[in-house]
Amino acid sequence: MKDVRALVLTGFGLNCDWETAHILHLAGALPERVHLNAIIGGTKRLADYHLFVIGGGFSWADEHGAGVILAMRLKHRLRDEILSFVDRGGLVLGICNGFQVLVNTGLLPGFEPGTWDRQAALVANDCGTFRDQWVHVVFNDQSPCVFTRGLHTMDLPVRHGEGKFFAEADVIQKLEANNQVVLRYATADGRPAQGAFPANPNGSINDIAGICDPTGRILGLMPHPEAFNHWTNHPDWTLEKERRQRTGEPLPEQGAGVLFFRNAVDHVRTRG
Amino acid sequence: MAVRLEIALKPHLFDAQGSELCRMIHDYFGWRVGSARVIQVLTLDAGLNEEEVKAVRTEIFTNPVTQVSSTEPLARAQDFDWAVWVGFRPGVRDTAGSVALEAIADYLRRPLDPKAAAYTSKLFLLRDAPLSRHQVDVVARELLANDIIQQWRIYAPQDWDPREGIGIILPKVELAHTPTVQTLAVGSDQELQKLSDQRNLALNPRDIPVIRAYFLREDVREERRRVGLDLPTDVELEAISQARSDHCNHNTFRGKFYYRDLDSGDASVVDSLFKTCIEAPTLEIQRRKDWVVSVLWDNAGVARFDDDHHYVITAETHNSPSNMEAYGGALTGIVGVYRDPMGTGKGSRLIAGFYGYCVGPRDYAGPLRPHLHPRRLLDGVVEGVRDGGNKHGVPTVFGNLLYHPSYLGKCLVFVGAIGLMPQTVKGEPTEQKKPNPGDLIIMAGGRVGKDGIHGVTASSESYSEQTPAGHVQIGDPYTQKKMHDFLLEARDEGLITFITDNGGGGLSSSIGESAQMAGGAFVELDKVPLKYEGLDVWEIWVSESQERMTVAVRPENLDRFMELARLHEVECTVIGRYEDSGKLHLTYQGRTCAYLDLSFFREDFPQWEFEAQWRSPRSRGLTEPVLSEPEDWGRLLCDLLASPNLCSREWIQRQYDHEVQGTSAVKFLVGRDRDVPNDAAVIRPVLTSNRGLAVTQALHPTYAQIDTYHMVEASIDECVRRLLSVGGMLDEIGGVDNFCWPNIQYDPERNPDGRYKAAQLVRANWALRDMCLAYQIPLLSGKDSMYVDGHLPGAYGERHKVSGLPTLQFTATTVVPDVTRCLTMDVKMPGDLVYVLGITRNELGASEYYQHLGHVGLNIPRAHSEDFLRLYRALERAVAQGLCASCRAVGRGGLAVHGAMAAIAGRLGMTWDLSRVPAEGSLSHVALLFSESLGRFLVTVPPQREAAFQELMEGLPAARIGRVTEAPIFQIRGTDGKELVQVPVESLRKAWSGTWSQEPV
Repeated sequence: MKDVRALVLTGFGLNCDWETAHILHLAGALPERVHLNAIIGGTKRLADYHLFVIGGGFSWADEHGAGVILAMRLKHRLRDEILSFVDRGGLVLGICNGFQVLVNTGLLPGFEPGTWDRQAALVANDCGTFRDQWVHVVFNDQSPCVFTRGLHTMDLPVRHGEGKFFAEADVIQKLEANNQVVLRYATADGRPAQGAFPANPNGSINDIAGICDPTGRILGLMPHPEAFNHWTNHPDWTLEKERRQRTGEPLPEQGAGVLFFRNAVDHVRTRG
Repeated sequence: MAVRLEIALKPHLFDAQGSELCRMIHDYFGWRVGSARVIQVLTLDAGLNEEEVKAVRTEIFTNPVTQVSSTEPLARAQDFDWAVWVGFRPGVRDTAGSVALEAIADYLRRPLDPKAAAYTSKLFLLRDAPLSRHQVDVVARELLANDIIQQWRIYAPQDWDPREGIGIILPKVELAHTPTVQTLAVGSDQELQKLSDQRNLALNPRDIPVIRAYFLREDVREERRRVGLDLPTDVELEAISQARSDHCNHNTFRGKFYYRDLDSGDASVVDSLFKTCIEAPTLEIQRRKDWVVSVLWDNAGVARFDDDHHYVITAETHNSPSNMEAYGGALTGIVGVYRDPMGTGKGSRLIAGFYGYCVGPRDYAGPLRPHLHPRRLLDGVVEGVRDGGNKHGVPTVFGNLLYHPSYLGKCLVFVGAIGLMPQTVKGEPTEQKKPNPGDLIIMAGGRVGKDGIHGVTASSESYSEQTPAGHVQIGDPYTQKKMHDFLLEARDEGLITFITDNGGGGLSSSIGESAQMAGGAFVELDKVPLKYEGLDVWEIWVSESQERMTVAVRPENLDRFMELARLHEVECTVIGRYEDSGKLHLTYQGRTCAYLDLSFFREDFPQWEFEAQWRSPRSRGLTEPVLSEPEDWGRLLCDLLASPNLCSREWIQRQYDHEVQGTSAVKFLVGRDRDVPNDAAVIRPVLTSNRGLAVTQALHPTYAQIDTYHMVEASIDECVRRLLSVGGMLDEIGGVDNFCWPNIQYDPERNPDGRYKAAQLVRANWALRDMCLAYQIPLLSGKDSMYVDGHLPGAYGERHKVSGLPTLQFTATTVVPDVTRCLTMDVKMPGDLVYVLGITRNELGASEYYQHLGHVGLNIPRAHSEDFLRLYRALERAVAQGLCASCRAVGRGGLAVHGAMAAIAGRLGMTWDLSRVPAEGSLSHVALLFSESLGRFLVTVPPQREAAFQELMEGLPAARIGRVTEAPIFQIRGTDGKELVQVPVESLRKAWSGTWSQEPV
């Protein structure tokens, strides 16, 4: 089987690199944690990887807008590398701070690839503060996104202060028309939250929790799939354990978050 | 030419920050403000030309999707009723400003002038704001700014200059001062005492003759003359003052206590609480337990986690700074305690943080005027710890909050940290470290300014707008997180021989202490990178500027170390080397400014001495209150659940990232609505393994009103039970003790009850010793903070001394062999059987119930550790065998409160029969429901596992008192068979979560 190499970005206050590397490993990829300056300095090359992950954290302390400074550095120092990485079929995943980075570079929504045009934003939560909570999300089965093939609903944690997805009406319309909205905040029964707090934790327009580019190979999302790497990450697991033990069902091991990464690995192996 | 950028959200977008401000103005003052908008201001003094300014404004600082910006004022007079500008005072850490400079240099691809500066500030526009200028000033002072670190200006529309706006405000530090080294005459003890007072050296009168004697020794003078010194320099006296301070030396805990029991007349002398109650028991336990790896000497304790890893733990307090500047103080506290595991052994990776807050009542409306009202203080502290933890990428997993009027004088802010290290690095044990002569001394991280140098600002004659706000600091988790990642890589490459943090005492403390290990140190203070010019040499040595570590590196490893530092963009500077000279030798621009024998710091300074006098609670006049049984039990239970120290604190924990690193196995908040505090949190720090680490905390200062001995018993026993409740191992519990005490030195005027407070401290330590030995808990780490007193202005210009209750926060950790065996406290399934384990006694003294009714009482809960342990062993086995569905250690509020919380969390009902509760003697319903006896658990067991459970509980105080019901109603029958309580769980939840409306139950 083909090796699937994944680069997990580190440095400057990014902080979900260990668990992101771990879940990539669970999914069968070969993850490597790489400092941004190692890529800029040329000791590591994006071209040597299949998957580029910008994970969660507080790059540059979120000053001047979450993801803004890191996006600028990527745009000005690695513009060509990133474009050719994407052109050659590479996958890009931005989680939380990484999603904020992707919209600030313009790689998302990416209506016209290569223009680096900023058209969407993640702004301060309507509730006014940082929140760590688990949410239900529902996936759009019409979306071209390669990370979410076959997924219907999932529980995942969100942990952010600036996660409200915002864009002007024409951009939202286009995202919806292109099926670039990949996942939405939902209620327990799997229906979109329709803006209701706390099911929609931040006031995102159309309950948008994540979007992809038109090719489906670049995904950004606020919830943290890497934080659901083990079944005991889920807030209700001790109840689930009792339920399963009494009905004789076996206990799970991994968390559902690994499915995103397994999809990515499968995609690279079959098409990459 | 300085330029001002203003950035704001586009007018049609919702301003969450502004909306939050309106909500707070209403919450705090009851005033209505229609709406508020926030304009971000970035003032650049960086020598940019017009084109560059435009480029950075549009490319970096303005988001075209959501923001507008301009170098002209964005606000017009018709846009607001009031405008408030808030910015930092000079010298206050402005992370956003320094990030802006980094970004500009990166964007322009050229280094900026070393003097380039960027300052961030905010302009708040209030609309539909029918407030007076005075009211706006109150909003500014109470909500928007703290005058210690910030300045503000208020504008009415008619004051507003549409062309200039707020103008160009540059809070630049300018010290028109040439650094000097002074020599100081110490001709007599009085002269040195006077110097100590003038310079805020806080030298203990007992130390003064010892210090003078050293400088007068002929051999010392001879050696000093050879390096061009004679009289002591200010650098030397400051270094000595630092080394002798209580903060660094724990003089109180190493002091001599003359303890007398005034009832019996018995007297005893306690020579060092540290040695007898902390060190001796811990060393004895360490001999028996091979998992206790490194204790009592390093920045944090080290314990074995698994075959390949150790965990590292410590906790501190940051009370005084938080009391002055809640946000900055708490932020600096959490970021500071994170440096302890980073500087333990050769360094560890941070894996968890935790907190404890003790503050005055949130709704305090009495005559005393603390510097910050408890509500604002708590809000600020909560936010400081939030930003420190979240931006550091460390999950904040557990915490405490306690309201009590005694903390109006000074609040308590406990912060703790856990790290993880591989057992070996390059074949060397990671927990060991030692600087060797010849190793280079490197200062890593931030630069040095006037931060944390006490009393300087106040005593400075040239106090002006450009004088730095000295003693209050604002931690910078971003800079420290970069350093954390860098140091771990350097450690793994074997480049670090020694590392420690620069906290209290700065370089003076970190190099002073490590020089003792190496046998000498030589430091060139002019090499130390400064934030701004004009610091005196002694200030460089003792400054407490944050985010700095001191690292020892072998000369042959320097190049690689510096290469890694550049990769991570962490500033590192060689400032000296370790030697075998036996001396601490400091120079500035080639001239010696300090030359002290290391042996001098180890001299026998006179021990501090304390009178301690104890009277039993009974002879102090405490009695049980005379109360009859209540009738409205349901309302009583709801009111207790709604009381400040029992009700929901979800609003705090929700703001803390408690899941980063992906290790969360049992969260602090559990249950169907994920809002009820669990007994302990469990993380799975090694992602490839199922092994877990459980952590919990307890503090019970209100018990100190009766007897601090039993207060400590209660805290430690509760921690043990809480760890067992989640599935932790009894034999691998480690403890961390954090004492916060009012001043214990007797003074007839200023501290008339000092002897009693000293006795309280002795008794607390005795209990610590006895409990640690009984439960075999080594103290992995601990700290003390000895002056929890405040002097508050009252109604008539008088000042009141307010002393905090004697407080011990106990933190405990243990290993969980497999996290899938963990339990949470929520009841799980209808039909499960409810068991009470442990004996309930008539122990309502200082209980939540008595407190609610305005009493203290006398019968304080006591530990019976031998009996308890038999039960704990049995429960540990039951949990290991998976027999229980839920488990709760019963603590404050007693059985009824904890039963209610288990029901709220499980969203199920319960029926109880009180006649079945294991009790000592025949107890009243009040005692059965609300007594806070130790050693008890509330457990649910599925019917099919009951037989196995009962077998384990054979001969132990364990009884089935009822069952879990589908119908969400909490029903309790009394010992007489009559119904006492029948409350819908929804009503309990409403009361507890603060959405209580006065509808009849």
